Amino acid sequence: MDFGFLQNLATGFGAALSWTNLGFCLIGCLLGTLIGVLPGIGPIPTIAMLLPISFGLDPLSSLIMLAGIYYGAQYGGSTTSILVNIPGEASSIVTCIDGHQMAKQGRAGVALGVAALGSFFAGCVGTVFIAAFGPPLARIAQEFNSPDYFSLMVLGLVTAVVLAHGSVIKAVGMVLVGLLFGLVGTDVNSGLTRYTFGVSELWDGIDFLPLVIGLFGIVEIIRNLERPELPRSQVYTGLRELWPSLQDFRDSWRAVLRGTSLGSILGILPGGGAVLAAFASYTVEKKIARDPSRFGKGAIEGVAGPESANNAAAQTSFIPLLTLGLPSNAIMALMMGAMIIQGIQPGSAVMTKRPDLFWGMVASMWIGNLMLVIINMPLIGIWVRLLSVPYRLLYPAILLFCVIGIYATNTNFVQIVMTAVFALFGYILIRFECEPAPLVLGFILGPLMEENLRRSLVISRGDPMVFLERPISATLLVLAAFVIGLIVLPQIRKSREEAFQE
Amino acid sequence: MLVPSWTVALLWSTVCARVCNAFRATNRLEEMIKVRSPQDLGAAIVFLVIGAAGLYFGQDLAFGSAARMGPGYFPTLLSGLIIAVGLVLAVKSLAVDGPPIEAIHFRPLFAILLAILGFGVLIDRIGLALTTALLTIGAAYARREVNLKETLLLAVGSALFAVGVFVYALSQPLPAWWGR
Repeated sequence: MDFGFLQNLATGFGAALSWTNLGFCLIGCLLGTLIGVLPGIGPIPTIAMLLPISFGLDPLSSLIMLAGIYYGAQYGGSTTSILVNIPGEASSIVTCIDGHQMAKQGRAGVALGVAALGSFFAGCVGTVFIAAFGPPLARIAQEFNSPDYFSLMVLGLVTAVVLAHGSVIKAVGMVLVGLLFGLVGTDVNSGLTRYTFGVSELWDGIDFLPLVIGLFGIVEIIRNLERPELPRSQVYTGLRELWPSLQDFRDSWRAVLRGTSLGSILGILPGGGAVLAAFASYTVEKKIARDPSRFGKGAIEGVAGPESANNAAAQTSFIPLLTLGLPSNAIMALMMGAMIIQGIQPGSAVMTKRPDLFWGMVASMWIGNLMLVIINMPLIGIWVRLLSVPYRLLYPAILLFCVIGIYATNTNFVQIVMTAVFALFGYILIRFECEPAPLVLGFILGPLMEENLRRSLVISRGDPMVFLERPISATLLVLAAFVIGLIVLPQIRKSREEAFQE
Repeated sequence: MLVPSWTVALLWSTVCARVCNAFRATNRLEEMIKVRSPQDLGAAIVFLVIGAAGLYFGQDLAFGSAARMGPGYFPTLLSGLIIAVGLVLAVKSLAVDGPPIEAIHFRPLFAILLAILGFGVLIDRIGLALTTALLTIGAAYARREVNLKETLLLAVGSALFAVGVFVYALSQPLPAWWGR
């Protein structure tokens, strides 16, 4: 194995360890946790709402801050899952099962502590993983041609659809709608505008910010308003033991190790990510436990494993984005959107042309994880108190934050109207049980997919066999077909439903 | 196109709300073809409308050929696939039982949307401080029980906060008061 990555990491730490960048990392973690801890708000709406604040910064600082927001949001989500039993998103559902039981037994502090330390360990491993596997993967990526990229996107979208929450066919529809939305604006090849309806603001395409803030942020606010307000008695603030005891460590370190390795691998897969990793880890822990009946009643492994797994996966899912320029899930699509707004086209070129940016970001991931442990362990009390602030006082402020964010980024009335339109659209989708997350993935990939399809077919003079003639592309398509086969087979479909119900 | 896309979207959403009410009614009366899964039917309509709009508004774009894809090639392909998804869902909604559509709460939906649009209309005219206060008050009416005193306090508080943070501390391009 090549140890040159240590040298590169040193460069990265050099870039990331300036006081300003540390400051932005800290602010990102704090804000991410602050919003993420609010019941019912998962990492996707949190990142969407906080995107605008990073736009004024230089690219590295902005990416560092966004990564901080992401980890913070995830950690905040776990805190809420454990204390109030309201998962912000799918990857925290698993944490709810045993974490909340521990909280009921007065062991909330232990659960939070194990979650934080497990996540930190997983974060460290994930960072090394990126540093070690990023460059070789980027070299492979340079072998990729248009047909290969196209097939890889197909595979990624297929896996994302299979792993999406809820109906597969609706997820397929959402991806396709996202791809179509992504094509709005000026066609680079012909210079013609498509689907702009005479609105000049659409010539550059649908703006990313109104889309994601409308679909996720605003819709989340409206949905929370429909739910009855949380009774206070549900919040378990009994933090008798804040720190895990030696026995707790003994019980959980193996689960942390298993979760970390599982998460690191599952995170790299196209379509994979934190959700899949958390579910897989919980299933594994339950399967190999000597006494599986403890699960669901406050087993510490049921918190340690999934929490480590989702953090490791959160980390390694940056690999496809940074090396191939392809996001593997909706959160990475948000990151990619932010990078493009900063004028960076993610891909292997970033590593060669802007090594400080790539390695600085990798280093900042580790720093972000460290900060989470340092700031969040002592601040638990504050987050807990935040949970008892009534929602009626919080949501106007959140709404305000969203609108000002959009307006300050691009002082234009049309942006505000678009936000409202997408909020309405998102609300309708939710009523019909269509998850909007795959739409964002499609939206980001739309133009890339069209361009690579065009180039492939130009090379082959219109012969679609080109996708099967190139070995890389053919392999990827076979994998995609295999994944489709998995859901078509009824038995596996059944077990998938069971896994999501758990 | 003379009509801006957002008015189309707004109109369409009302139509949609009507349609789902109608479906609920037919469900109750068990008339005509029985809709077994209203959620799927709703989703089917969404996809069919988007797919059809994609084809209709994309018809002037040159399709080209596989070897020389025109600007209309990929959009037409996608629209066709979206329609296919819509058709599958429509069939499914008649064949497979599914949960009913959850009740739509119009109050929070419209209060929040109006607050957002109001912000967009007013910010340039009366400045951030007053707009923020109005947005806070408007948003408060998304809930049924409004405590006026608390809401006013919150409005003043957030106006001060917004102006302090966004105009003075972060110097964002937002007017604090009217007339810039």
